[in-house]
Amino acid sequence: MLDKLLIKKVLEAALTTNADFAEVFIEDKFQTDISLLSSEIQSVNNAKEFGVGVRVAKGYQRVYGYTNSQKEEDLVKLATDLAQSFPGEPLNIEFDLKELKKGNTHTIKLLPSEVSIDDKASVVKRADVAARAYSEEISQVAVRFQDYVQNIWLANTEGTYVSDVRVRTRLSINSVAADENTKQSGFNGPGGLWGFEFYSDVINVEEAAHEASRIAVTMLHADECPSGKMPVVIDNGFGGVIFHEAVGHSLEATSVAKGASVFSGKKGQKIASELITAIDDGTIANAWGSATYDDEGNLQKRRVLIKEGVLNSYMIDKLNAKRMNDECTHSGRRQSYKYAPTSRMTNTYIDNGESTFDEIIAATEFGLYAKKMGGGSVNPATGDFNFAVGEGYMIRDGKIAEPVRGATLVGTGSEALLHVDMVGNNLLTAQGMCGSASGSIPTDVGQPTIRLSEITVGGRKGAN
Amino acid sequence: MNFDLLFEKAKAAGIEDIQITYAGGTELEVEVFNGAIEKYQIADSARLRAKGIYDGKMGTVTTEIINEDVFDFLVESIVNSAKVINSVDEVFIYEGDKEYPEVEGLFNPKLNDVEAKRKIEDTIELAKIVKAQDERINMVQAFYSQETTNVLIQNSKGLKLEKKVNVALFGVYAIASDGKDQRTAIEFKFSNDYEDYDFLKLAEVAAKKACSLLGATPCDSGEYEILLSAGASNSLLHPYLSMFSADAVQKDVSLLKGKVGELIANDLITIVDDPFKKQSPKSGAFDSEGVATTYKELVSKGKLTGYMHNLKTAKKAGVKSTGNAVGGGVSSSNFYIKAGDLNYDEAVKSMNKGLIITDLAGTHAGANPISGDFSLQASGFLVENGEIIKPVALITVAGNYLELLKDVTGVCDDLKFNFGFVGSPSLRIKKLVVAGK
Repeated sequence: MLDKLLIKKVLEAALTTNADFAEVFIEDKFQTDISLLSSEIQSVNNAKEFGVGVRVAKGYQRVYGYTNSQKEEDLVKLATDLAQSFPGEPLNIEFDLKELKKGNTHTIKLLPSEVSIDDKASVVKRADVAARAYSEEISQVAVRFQDYVQNIWLANTEGTYVSDVRVRTRLSINSVAADENTKQSGFNGPGGLWGFEFYSDVINVEEAAHEASRIAVTMLHADECPSGKMPVVIDNGFGGVIFHEAVGHSLEATSVAKGASVFSGKKGQKIASELITAIDDGTIANAWGSATYDDEGNLQKRRVLIKEGVLNSYMIDKLNAKRMNDECTHSGRRQSYKYAPTSRMTNTYIDNGESTFDEIIAATEFGLYAKKMGGGSVNPATGDFNFAVGEGYMIRDGKIAEPVRGATLVGTGSEALLHVDMVGNNLLTAQGMCGSASGSIPTDVGQPTIRLSEITVGGRKGAN
Repeated sequence: MNFDLLFEKAKAAGIEDIQITYAGGTELEVEVFNGAIEKYQIADSARLRAKGIYDGKMGTVTTEIINEDVFDFLVESIVNSAKVINSVDEVFIYEGDKEYPEVEGLFNPKLNDVEAKRKIEDTIELAKIVKAQDERINMVQAFYSQETTNVLIQNSKGLKLEKKVNVALFGVYAIASDGKDQRTAIEFKFSNDYEDYDFLKLAEVAAKKACSLLGATPCDSGEYEILLSAGASNSLLHPYLSMFSADAVQKDVSLLKGKVGELIANDLITIVDDPFKKQSPKSGAFDSEGVATTYKELVSKGKLTGYMHNLKTAKKAGVKSTGNAVGGGVSSSNFYIKAGDLNYDEAVKSMNKGLIITDLAGTHAGANPISGDFSLQASGFLVENGEIIKPVALITVAGNYLELLKDVTGVCDDLKFNFGFVGSPSLRIKKLVVAGK
């Protein structure tokens, strides 16, 4: 990619004023997208992305710029322009870029470039066939296949000089079930830090498609969800989105450092039930949110966020570490060169407890069983969060009863996890895209089945 | 760049017709948090999209490396992608319309002439003004962003269209605190006329909104008459835009399929797609296929008149394209519910027992465009006998969007757009189901 000498020149140009830190991030990405609808491949698109991002900082104040250009004059000009934000004498910082360190923690067997578009398209067609075969009530199926190779290089004035390759793929299936009255949809989107071997060694394409159709058909025959406060059992896998939204975002330095999070200054305090231990781990082999290095050139690591209910660690990037006077947890991530990095989650989950799934259901006289969750959002300043239930059932007399649809859960992050009174032993993770200050990035969410003693459920049917 | 060379290479590879769309430009972003510059970002970037017809199928490719060296890659990608596509839909590269509408004010050179330094100082000033509004405002983020984009569409049928757009945005995010409770509000305005911004007004609205929500608690569960504020209403309309796309209709994922000519909303409701709206980067004389854009009422006094089309969906339906091609699909330009004549304060006074909903959260997950159902986190105010009684938060409102449109009993005169240029005035609605305490 860019020559080391050129990178050094750009970094030096960035330090010609009073700045104390500069960084160059180079990204070269190749992505293929295939989409299918009405059992026909509608589009196939290859995209070649290339850009360079330059960050210049003094203390925790930073400026950022990017360009698609690879020309020395353009890059040096960008760095020089950015440097003007820190007027004053140069600090004469000396640094050396040594041997390039290459990230190699995750093994990829079949690179996207070694697989024909036909083979990729056949996975999409198989998913469509399986999703439709599930039930005659399936009226439409949309399938999207995506794979990419993201090569990044990162160099900074502390001497960091690393490269990393992120190979990811994901298959998203959206099934629609219809009768004369309504249409309901079901979604399943498995993915990972894998090459094309994902579709032979890791998942079963047909099973993944059946799952999307199963949800759509179940919801077609579901009643409207009642509303009000009630106990809720949230199942494992994508259920972990509750932790991601309710607590995870508010533990990112992006909001903590400004004092704008409900969890600012609460390290060492009890913020969840003692049954809760929560972890953010960017090192899990081939997980969707993993990488060897974060997007600031630091090795990814495992962070214990909450230990038995007590806040143990925030997720902190380089500059916010200075601002918070806390340690950087190697949590800097970004969507692409178009974004400056900031603290983000990777693979975040609630750890296993001791109850079995059956025990949790049996112990619940009345409530909602949220088997599949949809997406959600949070306002970190208030902690108020919401998320949609993709597949739900009522629990009556300790048994799973009729399916219900259209439920949304709302609550406050600072309280929700205090209400967890049972944690299962069946930890499972699922894939999502997380949008925040540094763009949309792949993250895993996860948890075992958990029970909240009380949370507000919103549905179209009035109170019970 | 000489695209004729690309067109020649495409032809030699058996590509019948080819079109490129080049979009390049510059960007400036400033963010101020509690008086200090939090973010200053500059960018200069471009993207080239090419599509071509090979063996009756449309292959596409995108690149950010834009030079003649990538032409072979573009041609090869188009051919390879076309070979895999098995959609039987007819595809088009358009020779162009005879005439294109004049759209004024898309680019204002004066905006780019204002120095970055002044823009930074003004952002700092805006944050100060917000802070000064109320002592309970304890944190303020003010932001400015500016984008200038050049778009070029050129194809092997001789079409060549260009457009230059710039737009800027000043906004504030205010956090109010009374020691016990913390509430937030966001306000912004788009314009490419730098003299057009009224900081005091932005500040007043944001500060008042954040402070007035302090101490908000859930209200009782039940059915309430609703006044959906303009900001909440435009965010709710947004996920349902796709219902009006002919593409969604033809693929049987729109609830509006087969409903042209029917009343789908109360007769107070008129919904418009307007590519000529001032101060919007989504405005323009042509769409992504090079078709001349049109102003259209999709819903006239409650009646569905038609859908948004591109060339492909129009051909299938036997109508003319409405100029709504966006990328490879169909989408809106500036899409909004037209303002009515009800005054907002009068609407509040008219409610016996109801809720004003000022904010809806989670519309990307809790509003289902396929079923029309929604269940969303909301905040606002409880109204009794025409008076605001108390702020309300952490509740959900649930319903079905098409039923909501039919249940509209009043349309206010306060049309407001969101970041995606979807707009709505405040709407008074017969009832929605609310879950609270």
